[in-house]
Amino acid sequence: MTEEIHEHITCVFCGCLCDDIQLKVQDNKIVDNKNGCAISKAKFLHHTEDRPAAPTIRENGTAKEVTLDAAISKAVDLIANSKRLLVYGLSSTENDAHREAYKIAEAAGGVVDNTSSVCHGPTIMGAQESGEPAAALAEVRHRSDLVIYWGSNPQFAHPRHMNLHTRAAGEYIKDPKKERKIWVVDIRKTISAGIADKYIRISPGSDLEVLSAIRAVLRGKALDIAEVGGVTIKEIADLVERMKSVKYGVLFFGLGLTQSKGRYHNIDAAIRLIQDLNAYTKWSMMPMRGHYNVAGANKTSTWQTGYPYAVDYSRSYPRYQPGEFTAVDLLARGEADVLLNIAADPAAHFPRAALQRMGKIPIINIDPKQNMTSLLATVNIPTAIAGIECDGAAVRMDGLPLYLKKVVEPPENFLPDRDVLRMIYDELRRVMK
Amino acid sequence: MSKDTILTNGRVYDPMHGIEGEVMDICMSDGKIVEKVNGSAKKIDLKRRLVMAGGVDMHSHIVGSKVGFGRAMCPEDHRKDPVPKTKYTRGGVGYTMPNSYVIGYRYSAMGYTTVIEPALPALKGLGSWEEMEDLPNLNSGLLPLFCNSMITFDYVKRRDLSGLAAFIAWTLRSVGGLGVKVVNPGGTYAWAHGVDLRDPNGEVPGWGITPKEIMHYLCEATEALGLPHVMHYHPNNLGRVGNVETTIEQLDSIRDIKGYHGRKHICHLTHMSFEALSSVEGAGTDWADIESGGLKFAKYMNKNKHFTADMGQITFGPATTMTGDGPFEFYLYQLTHGKWTNINVDVELPGGAGIVPYTYNPKAAGNSVQWTIPLEFALNVDDVWRCIVSTDHPNAGPFTKYPLVFSWLMSKKQRDIWMEDMHKFAHERSILSTIEREWSLNELAISTRAAPAKILGIEKSKGHLGVGADADVAVYDVDVTKVDLAKNPEKIIKTFSTSYLTFLGGKQVSKKGNVKDTGNEGVMTVHPQLNEDLWKRINKELEKKMNAWYSHSFYNYPVPERYRAHLEKKVKIDSTSVAA
Repeated sequence: MTEEIHEHITCVFCGCLCDDIQLKVQDNKIVDNKNGCAISKAKFLHHTEDRPAAPTIRENGTAKEVTLDAAISKAVDLIANSKRLLVYGLSSTENDAHREAYKIAEAAGGVVDNTSSVCHGPTIMGAQESGEPAAALAEVRHRSDLVIYWGSNPQFAHPRHMNLHTRAAGEYIKDPKKERKIWVVDIRKTISAGIADKYIRISPGSDLEVLSAIRAVLRGKALDIAEVGGVTIKEIADLVERMKSVKYGVLFFGLGLTQSKGRYHNIDAAIRLIQDLNAYTKWSMMPMRGHYNVAGANKTSTWQTGYPYAVDYSRSYPRYQPGEFTAVDLLARGEADVLLNIAADPAAHFPRAALQRMGKIPIINIDPKQNMTSLLATVNIPTAIAGIECDGAAVRMDGLPLYLKKVVEPPENFLPDRDVLRMIYDELRRVMK
Repeated sequence: MSKDTILTNGRVYDPMHGIEGEVMDICMSDGKIVEKVNGSAKKIDLKRRLVMAGGVDMHSHIVGSKVGFGRAMCPEDHRKDPVPKTKYTRGGVGYTMPNSYVIGYRYSAMGYTTVIEPALPALKGLGSWEEMEDLPNLNSGLLPLFCNSMITFDYVKRRDLSGLAAFIAWTLRSVGGLGVKVVNPGGTYAWAHGVDLRDPNGEVPGWGITPKEIMHYLCEATEALGLPHVMHYHPNNLGRVGNVETTIEQLDSIRDIKGYHGRKHICHLTHMSFEALSSVEGAGTDWADIESGGLKFAKYMNKNKHFTADMGQITFGPATTMTGDGPFEFYLYQLTHGKWTNINVDVELPGGAGIVPYTYNPKAAGNSVQWTIPLEFALNVDDVWRCIVSTDHPNAGPFTKYPLVFSWLMSKKQRDIWMEDMHKFAHERSILSTIEREWSLNELAISTRAAPAKILGIEKSKGHLGVGADADVAVYDVDVTKVDLAKNPEKIIKTFSTSYLTFLGGKQVSKKGNVKDTGNEGVMTVHPQLNEDLWKRINKELEKKMNAWYSHSFYNYPVPERYRAHLEKKVKIDSTSVAA
């Protein structure tokens, strides 16, 4: 029996990208995950589960196992004959795979979008309106004396976020219990709210009003109403006084803010509030990115296409338009005629109108595991899991790039996403010549 | 391997070899300039067209975290400047922040072959190497920031020059850097404490050290290591009226430092246009009091030989300011109230790069005077080898406006045309309108090729056309004996906007603006070799400090070989003389 210990491993589950994971590997099997949260443990210890045996092609409703070459050839055939290819996903794979996806979209004159269009896309649009006073996790730990989680439940979705970054002691916050306060703003008392120093309940859909009221009070405006979104004006005035008087404040925000009524207007209002607060003291903000490399998908898309998501290549140069070139919209309008899905599960997450279209068009699904989208897909190509079975790079929620190591061999004949995509691209170029 | 090529009948400007307009042949083989090639070589008759070494841009923000933030937050910057794919190139966008492919193509089209990214947050090195994979047709290099890190402060506070030098060496090797960048030392850090520290003699909160001391130590450490490129310096108090005084004060404070092996220059001051703002005598430091400090700074430079400078020439029109000087960007945001981004993680521990889109307006009093500063300076320096053309892309304008900058430098007529409708302050608060000097082609070749290569310490292979140099060659479609460029400024712009031919490592990458993507040409790095004791010591100390201060592991800090090996052009230097 061989046994290896791998240290300083980066976890490939959520946007925290904790890089202190210690893995024990026996005979190419991960048997222990030290330091990881419950989700991390599940991800690493059960990575061999739900893995398809081989690539498949669906014919007459039945998926038949085929060789990788046959699956690639079928995928290329579908892409080459598409009029409006949609390439989607990317947030649960490493950066090199993204590059190949953009090349395919460009070569086919299609659209490429990543999952941020259904999570923090509005965050990016907010930044396009106003900029972004972006926080950093090290600084949060060392300096912040007030942390607000808005529409975010870290104890559930980012289990080590509070422990490692906002409940931990830092260079200038020696006793975090005393010196740092944590507030949670949410529509319901989440488990994170339960352990926060203050919970502020707001009515569903009132985020924009509450943020605007806070900002108005901060700017010295008198509001002739008693309450906004279930929060009294007096309470808002108290919050504002506190926010002005801290040394270093940080706002973390989740999908409760980005995907509720108002969407990017909410984020724009939050950004402007944080910018205004900087006239008094230090404040910054950070989106609680979900998938471990959704931030990386925005980064790679930005340097390679100029835009962070929702990119169309039909005119042979990249164009950007959320709402038009975003995956859900493209499908719901019945526009996309082939879907190349990489490392995401739209069948499990997209609204019905988009799913209806997905049921009618060929789907090429590239994912290490069996997922809901596999059940619809014409071509399924299982791949190696980045950060476990092959290496790569990913980007943390605050923009820090981290290296992902390979710790075990993938199942036989399973290649990294980037290799499968490169084979598709090379073959596509050959066919389209 | 590139085919052997001989360029015949070119009118060559190669200042490193004193060649000024001689008609000669240039031979290329195996990516290098060679003495001669055999008869089977490809022959191109240049018919007396102008030939220079490939352009060297020593300060242009082309990759990395803040460029990415800037691109993502400004789709409006790109959408009016689409770049379709071709058979040989990828699609993309401009304008002030093009995507990575278009950056490479546009430099190729202008005859530039080497471009340095001057502000790398070292802990994000991996991201920049990934991005350079997609930066085609260029030699490049990265300058990591050392100015607002608590590790630097710790060594400065302890007066531990060896420790500081070793930290620099370790970082350059671990993330693949070419030199030391210093931006607003201590000031960006102080800002994380909510302190606006602009006085070079002020105290960095909690450390008992001053910006001047940080600057001095970093400069000394750079010389102690013998890094080929001197300290690349962005001073404190940038962008403020009257700051020519504090800039000179800072430069004065390092005059005592002895250059490595007796070299004269120990500092490169970058984008001087933002740090040579003077104010009207007896007035205050409001924007209404602004006056050009260009002449004053040129006089200082002519007297003091220990530094070089690049212009950071404002070009008017849209720009995107982005710098590791977070507090300056916040100041600019308070003036513009437009978009403002701040990126705290960039200079771990504390700090922040900032980004503010900005449009320079010739009718605005402040902007018009700012425009005169670098020109007034460049037209008054005695030694053009110390004066480099830059726009601090995209801060003062996009690099694609270099030809316009050349026309201002080379043509009094062009300056007069531009000043006609400019705000009256351009005339009243600067002597530019009275300056007759016009840069020669030789001076242009010095400032855009030979001198930056020398200052970067890459002059062995870059910036000239001598035998053994890399075969990076720009041919421009002009016979300079048949046209008076100074009288035809539009011809200057046309000539230098689109090269007739650009060769990169002997490969033809552009012809009349038709570019071919040849991938990244390589990333130059410097690897200082320390003595064993110092190497052991720094590894031990950095592990402790980084694990205490950073949010990720010391072991995940270095950029893995797999992202570097195929791009990296390593130069090992012997720094073993630095005591442990």
